[in-house]
Amino acid sequence: MPEYKHEFSVDMTCEGCSNAVTRVLNKLGGVQFEIDLPNKKVCIDSEHSVDTLLATLKKTGKSTSYLGEK
Amino acid sequence: TNQSVTQVTVINIEGMTCNSCVQSIEGVISRKPGVKSICVSLVNHNGTIKYDPLLTCPEDLRSAIEDMGFDASLSAKTE
Repeated sequence: MPEYKHEFSVDMTCEGCSNAVTRVLNKLGGVQFEIDLPNKKVCIDSEHSVDTLLATLKKTGKSTSYLGEK
Repeated sequence: TNQSVTQVTVINIEGMTCNSCVQSIEGVISRKPGVKSICVSLVNHNGTIKYDPLLTCPEDLRSAIEDMGFDASLSAKTE
């Protein structure tokens, strides 16, 4: 397993939003992640590409951007 | 003349807790082909969607909402 952690900014405003993020990431599978709701950040440890992760996060309909590796 | 057909479906949506959830769903689903209008109610936990049955169907719309990370089920109530 690679040791990269990708950090994304996702415009989440409530627990419903972060639950939606949790569900789409769990559906994708092969990811370990932490959601920081107050700071609107999602930190993902995964072998999937950044593009795949970004596309998955965008499914929630929230504005999403890639912040970089951590 | 070919008049376009509009049907209405009500989809139960669980997991929305704020207005931002509502707006996300309305934003994504309204851009789907065949969707003419969508009105999501936070209080009633559902979305009322007007659509063109030639382009989409309730099951498509349900799975699109499910893909967004919400629990969606087709309501028995249709108009």
